[in-house]
Amino acid sequence: MIATIARQQIVSLLRQRTFVVLLATLIVMTALAGVLGWSSHHTIVGVYDEAVKLLASRGDPAPPNPFLLEPTLALLSNMAVYIPFIGALLALVLGHLSLVDDETNGIGRLIFSRRISRTHYMIGKIVGAAAVLVAVLLASLAVSTISLAIVNRTMPTGADLGRLAAFYALSWLYLMVFVLIGMVTVLITRRRSLALLSAMGAWLVITFAFPQITSGLRPTQSLNPIVDPVSTSQAFFRFTAKARPYSVVEQYKAASASILRTAGTESTTSILRQVAPLLGLSIVLAVVGIGLVDRHDFSRGSNDE
Amino acid sequence: MSESTARVKALAAHEYRAAVRSRILLILLGILVTTTAVSVYVAAVDHRSKVADYAAYRAAAQASGLARIAPSTLAPLSLLRGALEYLEIIGAVVAITLGYLTVSRERANRTLTLIRSRPVTAGELASGSLLGAVGVFTTLVAATTLVGVVCVGLIGNDWINAAQGCKLLLAAIAAIIYLSAFYCVGAIASANTRVAANGLMIALGIWLLVVLILPQLGDTLDADNQIPGGLFKALTLDRAGETEILKHFSTYENVRISIEEASFAKHYERFAFAMTEVQDKYRGFSLGRLLGEKRNDIGWMIFYSFALVAGLRWRFRRQPTIPQETT
Repeated sequence: MIATIARQQIVSLLRQRTFVVLLATLIVMTALAGVLGWSSHHTIVGVYDEAVKLLASRGDPAPPNPFLLEPTLALLSNMAVYIPFIGALLALVLGHLSLVDDETNGIGRLIFSRRISRTHYMIGKIVGAAAVLVAVLLASLAVSTISLAIVNRTMPTGADLGRLAAFYALSWLYLMVFVLIGMVTVLITRRRSLALLSAMGAWLVITFAFPQITSGLRPTQSLNPIVDPVSTSQAFFRFTAKARPYSVVEQYKAASASILRTAGTESTTSILRQVAPLLGLSIVLAVVGIGLVDRHDFSRGSNDE
Repeated sequence: MSESTARVKALAAHEYRAAVRSRILLILLGILVTTTAVSVYVAAVDHRSKVADYAAYRAAAQASGLARIAPSTLAPLSLLRGALEYLEIIGAVVAITLGYLTVSRERANRTLTLIRSRPVTAGELASGSLLGAVGVFTTLVAATTLVGVVCVGLIGNDWINAAQGCKLLLAAIAAIIYLSAFYCVGAIASANTRVAANGLMIALGIWLLVVLILPQLGDTLDADNQIPGGLFKALTLDRAGETEILKHFSTYENVRISIEEASFAKHYERFAFAMTEVQDKYRGFSLGRLLGEKRNDIGWMIFYSFALVAGLRWRFRRQPTIPQETT
């Protein structure tokens, strides 16, 4: 039964063109990250060359090239910004549409006129959305690999491919949190728009409010893959920093930087420690969703404004 | 007062009341207020220690009989940077939501037909709704500004003077215009679709592009933003050296600047940051000089605002008065 519902969910998303929009956006996003990485690298090397000439004309020594030790996967550091911003919003819409259409089109009433377990229904919905995410992220992984091969002029090594795969697995887990938030908000609100805006509110809190409170990160700082360290020596942060391990967006970015090796190297244990809150939140949201669907009234969903 | 003005005022009051009663709008406002308060508090606490350091230096210099004491380089208005950024990002979502609610409320309650059965033109309806929304934004921005100034004064021990107050007022007016423009985006997109919730998704897509993606592209491509602390600083280059080197990358810089110029949010940000002395290069400028420097951003903000208000009036004129099917 779970497989049938998941299959129906995937077919429904394909027919609504949601899959195509998701796929196109993520592929454009990945290609953009590659182009940006290439363009900035190319420009910086040019700036360095010009700086060496200028300093030599002044009789000053040339500073070391800041990009000499750049890791091979640094080209994709923008992806760790796009996933929490663009990817997470798309994931919210994916989770939202997975349930809201059953409510507004009356399919929910039809399904539950049969002898179907609501728990199986919800698990099927989650599995369907998760499978769609896996498909679009695999396409994104392929584009990333091609971008790396073109820009670095050599195929990524096995270790690089392993790290890239680990980064996309982490991104899948992060996006699943938002798919589940999109689903849960449909189950706890009465109107379609209210569900979408509540999910958006949750995204704003996770993406902007939490990092500000726990780490003093301003919103525009979160938009740049290179962030100057923020002073958090105040008493306020000594208190709020205790919640930093639960700030999933910061944990995601830290784990991504470790996996892609764009900010030093961390041990596998510390990366797993950063991933644990994401996994925990996903499990909690899935359990809450399964609990809520049992009590949800699918017969009242005609008003979608 | 003419009858038309009275009708517009009544519609504006209706819009304001409805906004204040909306639970989702209040939740989004709560998120905005909390994050803003935290950012200003944190900046003000940090500023307090810098003010104390400067006071200690000044006292020591006076005691030692130093003839020339360096003036303070601290800019209290720059502590409001976080508040301005939150208005730019979360405030725009609040504005889009308000625009969406303007359309969806009258549709869902089937009151649009009732309103239009009265002697109210579509233009008056658009003007009244916009005026009510401007009232909501003015309340929001005024409260944010007041809390910010009081925080800077009480916690940061640095009260702003009259000249800084004038600059802050202009930044606040820019914020109200910015939010009103996003209100128009939300209302136009919602009125343009059969199911208003789909219009909300489209408006949020526009928000994503204008507020997050375009400015992010511009920032990421900025040569100086490539490494922590700044590339030119790492290359031991001063401002003159930076200008000299960037002459070799004029095409790259033009493309980067054009991407940023396409974003209405970036124009608001540049103007507001200049007025609040966030960027060092504008510190100490007179108001006239600042307005001259920022004339391009002012022009773009006026252009986008007029275009969106015209779009709102046009869309409301074409909006059917008979309730649409909602499925």
